[in-house]
Amino acid sequence: MNGPRLLVLGAGLGLAVLLPHVAGPFWMTLVTQMYIFGLLALSVDLLLGHAGLFSLCHASFFAVSAYTVAILQVRHDVPTALAVPAAILAGTVLALLFGLAVRTRGVYFILITIAFGFVVWGLAHRWSSFTGGDNGITSVPFPALGPFRIQSTFEYYHLVLAVVVLCAIGYRTLIASPFGLTLRGIKASESRMRSLGYHTDLHLYTAFVVSGALASLAGVLYVYHNRFVNPVAAAFQISVEAALMAIVGGSGTILGPFLGSVVILGLRNWVSSFFELWAAVMGAVFIAAVLWAPEGLVGLARRARAVARRAPEPETTVP
Amino acid sequence: MTTGAILQAINGTSLAALLFLLASGFTLSFGLMRVVNMAHGAYYLLGGYIGLSIAERTGSFTLAILGGGAGIVVLGFLVDRFLIRHTGENHLAQVLLTVGVAFVIGDVALHIWGGDTLMVPTPAVLRGAVELPGGIVYPRYRFVLILFGVVVGAALWLLYRKTALGAVVRAGVDDREQVSATGINVDRLFVLVSALASFLAGTAGVVGGAFLALYPGAEWEILVVALVVVIIGGLGSLEGAMLGAVIVGLLDAYGRWLLPEFSYFVLFGPMAVLLLLRPRGIFGREG
Repeated sequence: MNGPRLLVLGAGLGLAVLLPHVAGPFWMTLVTQMYIFGLLALSVDLLLGHAGLFSLCHASFFAVSAYTVAILQVRHDVPTALAVPAAILAGTVLALLFGLAVRTRGVYFILITIAFGFVVWGLAHRWSSFTGGDNGITSVPFPALGPFRIQSTFEYYHLVLAVVVLCAIGYRTLIASPFGLTLRGIKASESRMRSLGYHTDLHLYTAFVVSGALASLAGVLYVYHNRFVNPVAAAFQISVEAALMAIVGGSGTILGPFLGSVVILGLRNWVSSFFELWAAVMGAVFIAAVLWAPEGLVGLARRARAVARRAPEPETTVP
Repeated sequence: MTTGAILQAINGTSLAALLFLLASGFTLSFGLMRVVNMAHGAYYLLGGYIGLSIAERTGSFTLAILGGGAGIVVLGFLVDRFLIRHTGENHLAQVLLTVGVAFVIGDVALHIWGGDTLMVPTPAVLRGAVELPGGIVYPRYRFVLILFGVVVGAALWLLYRKTALGAVVRAGVDDREQVSATGINVDRLFVLVSALASFLAGTAGVVGGAFLALYPGAEWEILVVALVVVIIGGLGSLEGAMLGAVIVGLLDAYGRWLLPEFSYFVLFGPMAVLLLLRPRGIFGREG
């Protein structure tokens, strides 16, 4: 990583740490939400941006882990230290199962993941004796680890920020590894990777499960943030919005999904404050993103920078 | 027990008829145009609402069906021409874009028709019950729906398999460039098939709105079940849509009856099995 980029990242991180000291609880809550959904979008983008698979069932892993935490903590008084690993395990096991979808590609993969996603939503919605139905499960406590106990949204903000930064670092290591390279190779040309001797199905399956585990972690952060969970967490809309965030921000990058989360959640909060048809506006954003910014904001910025860099060249190099 | 089982069989078959209307349009537009249109569910709901308004004003169920279908044909044409066309063959872009279209339609419909559960009124001829041998009493409407589904299915099948137009469409599914090279206007063919798909979705909304009711969110619930039909039957196959609709309709009916809390799960089972054995569905082709 070069100097200027480090500087920008450092400044951004500094701002993020300082923000809760200057902003009120409204902004703190909104920004925490942006981090959490950014993490979910990042998990979707591991498949979308690196493996070329468009999954629309990530709300499932997100919701299953959120429900696991809620049920264990609220109904069975299980401490955070056990509930969180159990939740991530539950989400990951579901990903092991849904990972079957990698037997297909393209449209089939998209359609099957949509159907999978609805199974989980349907369970959350209908199996009310276990999930609480539409009311869901309320009064989830703040996380606590032995004597360390989160007491306020202010403290929780920092916890989420720390987890998200650690995840981003881990994610960076993962995509820079030979495994990440292999995934991008499969995205570029699966037949070539297969003829080179790579077991492409296994790589995609692994990526799917890792991505599901990351989405489960986002679900844990979500339930402690919201303090309740209902079938909305498993909704199709969450899955599509996570994908949209990755695309709007810039698929295949780390910052992109978070940028997308800031834009989408920011826009939704702003528009819904004065316009009744805000869901239609969100739909219009989907359409606009596909038609005009398929590479996302990071892509646009890159292109702008490339243009700016190239612009003076003709005068100096062409004789 | 047996009475219940028979009732569920009819329930399932009538649901299958409805699912076929929706899934056949979806599968044909994929087969020919390579377009994944996730707005089909929203087309269904909007078609139903339009039909509802027409039925309330005119009192005619036939007009409601035709009007609901026609309204969606116009909308579908505009969406195809001005939006989907720009996505080329990028399925990911198509899915996101048409989901966006569905959100817009859903929200606008919520604004116009409100959030209550509404039923499309049916004419007196279709109301009431039929008494079957064995003392089984069943709503007449559902029988007519099954009949309607069978008639539409047979008509579509004949059109697809036995007419010159159908042959051109099938050829287009196999190799679009080749068909175009023989001098057939493929674009016009696309408009035609897309209009048919839209019409089917719109009518399905009216027909379905008379027994499943119309409410915000119904568009996704029906779409996902139609997707399972298409996944099981095989994308792009009309016969697959028929068989898939019957399988899913029956599974759903028995699932709701025997395991009401897990009815979605019942649909998921055969899909998972299929994924292991035939990832491209029963009638799906490899490659």
